[in-house]
Amino acid sequence: MNDLAALFLQAMFVENMPLTYFLGLCTFLALSRRPDTAFGLGVAVILVMGVTVPLNQLIYSAVLAPGAWRWAGLPEVDLSYLSLLTFIGVVAGCVQLLEMVLDRYLPKVQAAFGAFLPLLTIHCAIIGGSLFMVERRYDFTQAAVYGLGSGAGFALAVVMLGAVRARLAYADLPAGLRGLGAAFLITGMMSLGFSSFAQMVAP
Amino acid sequence: MAAGASLWGTLTAPLIRQNPVTLQILGICSALAVTTSLDTALTMAISLTVVVVLAAGIVSLIRRHIPTSIRLIVQIIIIGSLVVVIDQCLKAWFFELSQRLSVFVSLIATNCIVLGRTESFARTNPPLPSMVDALGNGLGYGLVLVVIGACRELFGTGKLLGVQILPLAEQGGWFTPLSLMLLAPSAFFLLGALVWAMRSLWPEQADDPDFPPHETGEERP
Amino acid sequence: MADLNPFSLWRRFLNTPNDNRAKTLAVAFLVSAACALLVTAATVLLRPIQAENRAAEQQARLEALIAAVPGISELIAASGGEALSTVVVDLDRGAAATGITPETLAAALAEQGNWTALAPADDIAGIGNRPDYAQIYLLRSGEAVSLAILPVVGSGYNGRIQALLALDGDMRRLAGIAITEQMETPGLGARIEEPLWQQSFAGKQLFDESGATRFAVARGPGRGEFEVDGITGATRTSNAVTNMVRFWVGPKGYGPLMAAIRRGEF
Repeated sequence: MNDLAALFLQAMFVENMPLTYFLGLCTFLALSRRPDTAFGLGVAVILVMGVTVPLNQLIYSAVLAPGAWRWAGLPEVDLSYLSLLTFIGVVAGCVQLLEMVLDRYLPKVQAAFGAFLPLLTIHCAIIGGSLFMVERRYDFTQAAVYGLGSGAGFALAVVMLGAVRARLAYADLPAGLRGLGAAFLITGMMSLGFSSFAQMVAP
Repeated sequence: MAAGASLWGTLTAPLIRQNPVTLQILGICSALAVTTSLDTALTMAISLTVVVVLAAGIVSLIRRHIPTSIRLIVQIIIIGSLVVVIDQCLKAWFFELSQRLSVFVSLIATNCIVLGRTESFARTNPPLPSMVDALGNGLGYGLVLVVIGACRELFGTGKLLGVQILPLAEQGGWFTPLSLMLLAPSAFFLLGALVWAMRSLWPEQADDPDFPPHETGEERP
Repeated sequence: MADLNPFSLWRRFLNTPNDNRAKTLAVAFLVSAACALLVTAATVLLRPIQAENRAAEQQARLEALIAAVPGISELIAASGGEALSTVVVDLDRGAAATGITPETLAAALAEQGNWTALAPADDIAGIGNRPDYAQIYLLRSGEAVSLAILPVVGSGYNGRIQALLALDGDMRRLAGIAITEQMETPGLGARIEEPLWQQSFAGKQLFDESGATRFAVARGPGRGEFEVDGITGATRTSNAVTNMVRFWVGPKGYGPLMAAIRRGEF
């Protein structure tokens, strides 16, 4: 239990997807002009990552990993080279399913966050989460905790950036720095700040 | 030579005027993580250029027969397959480099530039212009990566491509490396500075202010 | 019968409007099949080259690094200039592994079954799970083992730390260490790669008379025969190295192997 909590905190703060690994920056920068769109994006990312990372872990260990077909008498079969394509397919399918499920059963949630889901179909951070899960050999519970933690970290970072940029909209910035330039500099400072969390989680 | 001139224009536009990274905010994700040294930055830039040119070529060849309902998936499958092939090639012939790049080569499949070019240009243009446009965008992306990679490696370790350029203080020289350059925030700062420089030199790229500040003292009675 | 002519069939297929359901399915299927073929062909063709390159690069790197363990070349020269012998060992049994050679080790370790998950109480080094087999290097003088070089791995401040630990033939004293991979903070934790610091490991004792593991990287200057100087400002990395060494010389690491070497079974 302790390690799972540590893993969650590590995924959320120490290995923050946009701020430490530079993943998901396109949507991170494009949708962070205001805190409310940022929040919508954040929630969508948590949902999708929380579902796809453990799902991909199951598929990887059951079908794609080297030696996964040992039960069928084919221990040398190694389908791990298909993992990228499989993960992309799974994420795309999940996003589609999530949209349909939300539409049917939680229409209010769909109205609030549904517009962001199609953007997450091929999203660096979401695919990246699954790829890191394979690289670090997580099992199912670890993958689930890691997915939720990474999503939460992304959400935190994007909402914070949204809040800062909303204030900056009223500032008199130099023309060349407006918009993207300022966003990068602020993200850099946030990244510097987040690196102080590296002391936080004991192994 | 109008066709030649327009091809040259297609090639060079994404280098500065329509740079995918600094103007269109595309493809940054995998761009920054691999720029701690120049060789990984170059490898990443070349890999992406190869993938986007081939993807644009293939999509353009079959563009008349892609049903609208599945067009995104078809493009994603083609791009993903090319990325897997490139990844396997790197693992076969540049093993150490591929270890350092880890998952970021695979993430070329999610790179907005590649899908953006196939979706917006290659789907509606013949193969040769599509591939030239793709090449231009790949080079534009590569330019940004090389600039940032060179800065970070040079000021972070004093080396470029592994060759010691600035003599380190610990080895008798004068240069104390800026360790910040090897950490994540520096890439953001450098990219921000690059964007600022480009938008100051070419002001048409700058964003308009959301809320222009009032001029005081002139309109008030 | 002209309708069954493959060319005219193909042309008819191409001329069908793109929204036609059959065409959509056919295009999806053809594209997927073509891509699957491309990907599988590339992988299957390149796999042997990859395995070869990987093995060759690993061997070359290991050999270069063994030469880099401070003091090793002197020891090798002193023992008569013989080369190091290498063997894959089974960590649990403390004996040579049956059926696994250095060439097949990578494939064996790709299987999840050849890794042991570590309980949190045992997992001092923070690595989660531990491979059941490892390739070690032995230097002999006559029949006895005079030096053993063991690959170790631990969890550092920023990522994995991999190293080669060199132990004297009595399996109680360190002969040296070479850090082969680390991702620690440049200028602080990354200083574990400096040769001067690594050289300070030579001659340090691992265990006291009662058999308890006493080795540690100290905070500040090392005192006594069990401690190595710490690195200022890199407490977490220093602790990671301590834990890594302690784990791998312990019962869940190379402990059984070291006992076997002491008994002369090698």
